[in-house]
Amino acid sequence: MSFFRITLTRSGIGMPKRTQGVLKALGLRHRMATVFYPVTPEVAGQIMRVKELVTVQEVDKALTKEELRAERRPEAGFYLETAAPR
Amino acid sequence: MFGAFRPTNSLSGGLLWKIPWRLSKFQKQRQRKRLRAVDSVVATLDKALTKMSITTRAVERWKEEMPVEQEMVPKDKYSIFDRKEKKYRKSIRKLPKWTRVSQRVNPPGY
Repeated sequence: MSFFRITLTRSGIGMPKRTQGVLKALGLRHRMATVFYPVTPEVAGQIMRVKELVTVQEVDKALTKEELRAERRPEAGFYLETAAPR
Repeated sequence: MFGAFRPTNSLSGGLLWKIPWRLSKFQKQRQRKRLRAVDSVVATLDKALTKMSITTRAVERWKEEMPVEQEMVPKDKYSIFDRKEKKYRKSIRKLPKWTRVSQRVNPPGY
């Protein structure tokens, strides 16, 4: 079972009502929002309606909200930079 | 000729917007990038659907009718047909929401 990972990269503001409705139906409320949907013809058709506004990846498993947050979290701790040789 | 009340285009004619007809090379580059982004979305959908041996009308129709960025001629990337314009062409930036809509094909011969 594979999933579409859909991220809204361009805003739907000012687009036709049908397009904005598709974004709402997909649950994409603001830019950089990410949602996961199983690979079905219905979802593919929805993505085709908003293909200029989103980026899509095919992934093996849908991430939860917490996992998405963890993905964005920077690594803990610090590292020492060494001076570049001149 | 000089001074505060010189007859410039905007003073004698009122509102004057100077919008260059052509896109700059950077705007053209970004336009190509956007075209390729749409191509990649369609390619991802197509790959995922063929893996499950499903066909979707919207994807099939797009693949059949629309050229990908590399197949398009520069004229179609940066300008669109308009019957009211001289030489029947105007800059693509005249198209409302041109960075967020797909406009790839024009009437044959124009």
